[in-house]
Amino acid sequence: MGEVQKGLLSVIQKLKGSEEQELRIVLLGLDNAGKTTLLKRLASEEVNTITPTQGFNIKSVHSHGFKLNVWDIGGQRAIRTYWKKYLGSTDMLIYVIDSADQKRFEETGQELSELVEDENLTSVPLLVFANKQDLATASSAADIAEGLNLHTYRDRPWQIQACSALSGEGVQDGMNWICSQITSRKK
Amino acid sequence: MYSLMANCCNWLKRWREPIRKVTLIMVGLDNAGKTATVKGIQGESPEDVAPTVGFSKIDLKQGRFEVTIFDLGGGKRIRGIWKNYYAESYGIIFVVDSSDVERMEETKETMSELLRHPKISGKPVLVLANKQDKEGALAEADVIECLSLEKLVNEHKCLCQIEPCSAIIGYGKKIDKSIKKGLLWLLHIIAKDFDALYERIQKDTTEQKAAEEQEKRERAERVRKIREESYLCIF
Ligand SMILES: Nc1nc2c(ncn2[C@@H]2O[C@H](COP(=O)(O)OP(=O)(O)OP(=O)(O)O)[C@@H](O)[C@H]2O)c(=O)[nH]1
Ligand SMILES: [Mg+2]
Repeated sequence: MGEVQKGLLSVIQKLKGSEEQELRIVLLGLDNAGKTTLLKRLASEEVNTITPTQGFNIKSVHSHGFKLNVWDIGGQRAIRTYWKKYLGSTDMLIYVIDSADQKRFEETGQELSELVEDENLTSVPLLVFANKQDLATASSAADIAEGLNLHTYRDRPWQIQACSALSGEGVQDGMNWICSQITSRKK
Repeated sequence: MYSLMANCCNWLKRWREPIRKVTLIMVGLDNAGKTATVKGIQGESPEDVAPTVGFSKIDLKQGRFEVTIFDLGGGKRIRGIWKNYYAESYGIIFVVDSSDVERMEETKETMSELLRHPKISGKPVLVLANKQDKEGALAEADVIECLSLEKLVNEHKCLCQIEPCSAIIGYGKKIDKSIKKGLLWLLHIIAKDFDALYERIQKDTTEQKAAEEQEKRERAERVRKIREESYLCIF
């Protein structure tokens, strides 16, 4: 197709004309993983209503046929119980990690494994953005998959996408995967 | 009359066979057509595929078999995850892009490494020589030669069948007959040797699960410590 970065728009277009009511995506990651930068990449000018939710650091993007909730999971253990209400009927989980922060691979892996155990997320497809690939010290996708023990997640499709939210590289590839998952789900 | 009775007996025999759960892995280089094949088997259009850098699976019923096929990413940077799925697989489907002559050497090395693995050697392998619709695609015999397939499978005691096919010419009921035929062959071989395979897989997966559980516990403990330390830092 050769189009430039379309981000969420490509998914929205995919949904148009389908029966789907609303696609609910949850975007998570530790602090400093690059969620906000990624969000800006995904939600180009067409989707311009990024509203911080009061109380906690949750941002929501609404668009036709779309709802994207984004939040930090590091250092906010106290408000964990409130998450649940944001996890209901999630269709897609995007998890962002800092590929150059090897020190925190275990921690972020642990967070992810606790998260996917939530019953709202049973068999929800998982896209891991291995972010900050522009840094020389970034680990490869396979190493990160290993580090996060992704192979133990056998109840859902998962994909690890190397990307740089800064340059935008790889971001659209990740969205293309999400698109391909939507067709599979629709049947 | 006799054949009718024989048919009945066969049917009864089959009916009394237990349902068998079987896991297969679908591997091969990136761009070989694994995801397209899997989609076709599942009855979905194989057109809309994105490169797999990860894992997905499909479930299907075939006779008395409940089959799960793991579709794994084939790119060089993700191939490392394959080994995690060897223990539980009863058989292997190896997809080759027959039109990509330049990557035959890489294909050969990849297959060699796969069959050499202790959790794979001795298990049956179906090779799908895919993309036969493309001009310049190698024929079955040429693929066998390029991969030194005979030598490889003999060396590692893997029963093997190769099927030239095209994953994109049809899907669902109209799927390429060779793919269907290959899959049936693989299941047939697995059925013949089921008890031994079952035992081997039970043993291997039990070991793997135990190791994974332990690793999980240890990690949880390490992370708990890290979290505690950062908590102490605040106060
Ligand atoms: N002409 C032709 N193209 C095919 C055939 N099978 C697959 N393709 C195309 O080859 C490309 C790669 O197919 P995939 O199914 O994504 O390949 P894969 O083996 O899953 O690749 P990875 O996920 O990267 O490991 C896609 O553009 C398919 O449409 C075939 O039989 N003939
Ligand atoms: Mg694939």
